[in-house]
Amino acid sequence: MLNQALVQDVIDEALKTGGDFAEVFVEDTFKDQLMLLGGRIDTSLSGREFGVGIRVYNGFHSAYTYTTDFSREGLLKTAHHAAQAIHGESQIQPQKFQVEQASIIHPIAQLPQSVEKTRKASVMKNAADIASQYHNSISQVKVSLLDEEQNVLIANSDGKFVEDQRIHSRMAIAAIASNEHDMETGFYGPGAVRGFEFFEDLDLNHYASEAARIAVTNLGADPCPSGKFPVIIDNEFGGVIFHEACGHGLEATSVAKGKSAFANKVGERVAPDIVTYIDDGTIPNEWGSINVDDEGNKPQKNVLIENGILKGYLVDQLNSRIMKTKPTGSGRRESYRFAPTSRMTNTYIAPGESTPEEIIENTEYGIYARYMGGGSVNPATGDYNFAVNEAYIVKNGKIDKPVRGATLIGNGPKTLQTVDMVGNNLGHGAGMCGSLSGSIPVNVGQPTLRVSEITVGGRKEDA
Amino acid sequence: MNVIEFKDELFQQGSEKGFKDMEIYYEKTDRFVCAIEKGEVDQFTTAEVTGVSFRGEYSGQMGYAYTERLDESSIDFLLDSALESASVLESEDVEEIYEGDREYRDLSFTKEALKSVTSEEKINFMKQLDHEIYQADERVIGTNFFQIQSVEVQKAMYNNKGLALEDDKNYIIFFVVVIVKENDLTKSGVHVEIIEDWSKVDAKQSAHKAVQEAVSYLNPLEVEDQFYPIILRQDAAGDLLETFVTTFSAETAQQGMSKLKEKVGSKIAGDHINLIDDPFRKNGMASRTFDAEGVATKELKVIENGILTTLLHNRKTAKKDGVKTTGHASKPSYKGTINVAPSNLYIEPGEKSYEELVQGIDEGIVVTDLQGLHSGVNEISGDFSLAANGYYVKDGKIQGPTNLMTVAGNFFELLNQVDGIGRDLDFGPSNVGSPSLLLEGLSVTFE
Repeated sequence: MLNQALVQDVIDEALKTGGDFAEVFVEDTFKDQLMLLGGRIDTSLSGREFGVGIRVYNGFHSAYTYTTDFSREGLLKTAHHAAQAIHGESQIQPQKFQVEQASIIHPIAQLPQSVEKTRKASVMKNAADIASQYHNSISQVKVSLLDEEQNVLIANSDGKFVEDQRIHSRMAIAAIASNEHDMETGFYGPGAVRGFEFFEDLDLNHYASEAARIAVTNLGADPCPSGKFPVIIDNEFGGVIFHEACGHGLEATSVAKGKSAFANKVGERVAPDIVTYIDDGTIPNEWGSINVDDEGNKPQKNVLIENGILKGYLVDQLNSRIMKTKPTGSGRRESYRFAPTSRMTNTYIAPGESTPEEIIENTEYGIYARYMGGGSVNPATGDYNFAVNEAYIVKNGKIDKPVRGATLIGNGPKTLQTVDMVGNNLGHGAGMCGSLSGSIPVNVGQPTLRVSEITVGGRKEDA
Repeated sequence: MNVIEFKDELFQQGSEKGFKDMEIYYEKTDRFVCAIEKGEVDQFTTAEVTGVSFRGEYSGQMGYAYTERLDESSIDFLLDSALESASVLESEDVEEIYEGDREYRDLSFTKEALKSVTSEEKINFMKQLDHEIYQADERVIGTNFFQIQSVEVQKAMYNNKGLALEDDKNYIIFFVVVIVKENDLTKSGVHVEIIEDWSKVDAKQSAHKAVQEAVSYLNPLEVEDQFYPIILRQDAAGDLLETFVTTFSAETAQQGMSKLKEKVGSKIAGDHINLIDDPFRKNGMASRTFDAEGVATKELKVIENGILTTLLHNRKTAKKDGVKTTGHASKPSYKGTINVAPSNLYIEPGEKSYEELVQGIDEGIVVTDLQGLHSGVNEISGDFSLAANGYYVKDGKIQGPTNLMTVAGNFFELLNQVDGIGRDLDFGPSNVGSPSLLLEGLSVTFE
């Protein structure tokens, strides 16, 4: 991508003002996005994203610069800009590069750029047909297909010189059901670190029908009541709630500055003993998996909470200096436009003992959140909010009727302490996570579980 | 390769490959970002990014591709990808490249004086602001997302029908989330300022406002769940309007995903509601003299006295509906295709101050901040159920903050339930703005 001699010169330039570490990140990415609407391919866009990011540290201070100008002159100028923000006294001698290709833990069969767009379009049409034919109230179906090949080079003054290729494929199916009064939507968005084989193997019957079924269910649903209820959150994407409410608080980005509710609590009880929380970037071909992180470190399985006891954090290189601990293969970034920081990969609550049926049978009155939507959390307070895409009332241990428009609000660390049943059906769901170092693919996951009380907001006024 | 050389080479090779009409959109952005944490520079970033988007008509369809690498290898990539894209497209509505208008408003959105502010001056201001924030109140325990950004953008469009348009703008903005703590309860408040005139920055005053906002949420009152009259403070009202902006797009309507599809000419809001799009607004985040298709922009009343006068159009949607484009073709950056989006869209301000709106209610809630706008709304039906922060009002006075709450309602119903409009229009860091709005009521649940 760039030759070693030039990368070496850029690192030397970046260290001229006494920095004690310098890193170069080069990216050449090819993306395809296709969108189908009303049965026709409506948009097709291809892009090439290319740029170089340069980072320098001096102790706990860092500077980051990036550019799309890949000329020698442009790169040296960009390194110079980063160096100007550093006033250090180190005179380190950069280590000789140990050139390596990241070992592939997530093998790819068909590279996205090698597959004709007509084949991509044909899978999308199959998905759209299945969703459209699901029910006569389905009035519109939108299918998006996204794939990318990200080629990166990560080199640093410690002698690292690693190249890697990251492949992501995702399909998003959105169905709209309507009658004279209402329009409701359903959505499913499976993704993986796989090539075109992901779309060929995808169980479209399941995903497209589910998107349509959610829309149809919501169309016939009453507004959700509001109040405080036990909430049963289903597996797969249900894990988003703990991603926001706990996962972000376990990232070194907030822990190192003492801003997380979980800071300085390793070894302490933060959850009931039925809760074990894990981040694992090595699960083969999952959406949040990586061969190597964006600082050139290998991913690993990080047990964050074990049987309710806090075990550790997700740590990137810079924060590892501040926290005096080892990096955990968690340094990630969206692109060359972002300095990497500690982020999640595939994060999940480990399976427990209960069957999903037992959890429902043991609930007298509550909300069953079958599919979660998105949400957000205030990192300072831990307050979160989530939309529920498909919800039901549970009455006397049985699923009663569907309700629409539910929102869950609460406080992350508190909610974690009130998990009272954990199921045995672990599943993962694909999502995009936005934070300091941009928007990156992550999996969230969990088995079906129950929280004894969450505040639910809805439009039904006589709850 | 500079952009003109790149364009000439691209169009030359493109016509050899069989493209009929071709266009490029070029964007160059220079950015400086500095974040502060407890008196020290925590993040320092400078950047220079260039990108080019190509669109070309090939056998009746418009293929798109973009690149950030301006070299010979990208020319092949752009032409081959756009050609392949055009071949899979099945759009019934033909998109055309535009030769341009005769006249464009002669306006510049660049503030030359801001360009001469040095990095050092910006960093010093931020350090001073940081100092003042901790001085302002002893309950301040920290800050989050505390950063200043200065941005300069240059844009250009060229096509083979003779269109050549250039535009540039710059701005400086800073954000801070102030974190405060009292009685073991942590709360935060957001403060954002867009700096128009560097000589008028005032760290003490800005710090005071930011800290005021944060401490105003301490010591929440226990308030009962019920249906309350609501004041949406201007920032919350603007955020809610922004969430439903796509509903005013003719593109969304033609896709069957807007409730306003058949409503042009009908009453959709209270008599006193006017919704205006102003592409020439001074300091507007989306001010522009031409849209993403090269059409000259103009001011537009989208809702006039409660009546929907038009949807927002680009040339493709206008052709389909048999109307003229309103100049709302939009491309969020060179990475996108052309769609429809407003310039600077706002609800026209009324007479009353925010304080007067508060004085007008016996018992109610002021909503100052809405969260989960990307997830807790159904953009099509208009239903929303959102987490919110705010204050409890009794006898025309703010009594204190509430606990975290959820507010639920429907955007389209709400347009008909506005009982009062403030005069405090503000856009914040967005291109969509609103004054504070007094609403008949929403159902509220407290945590």
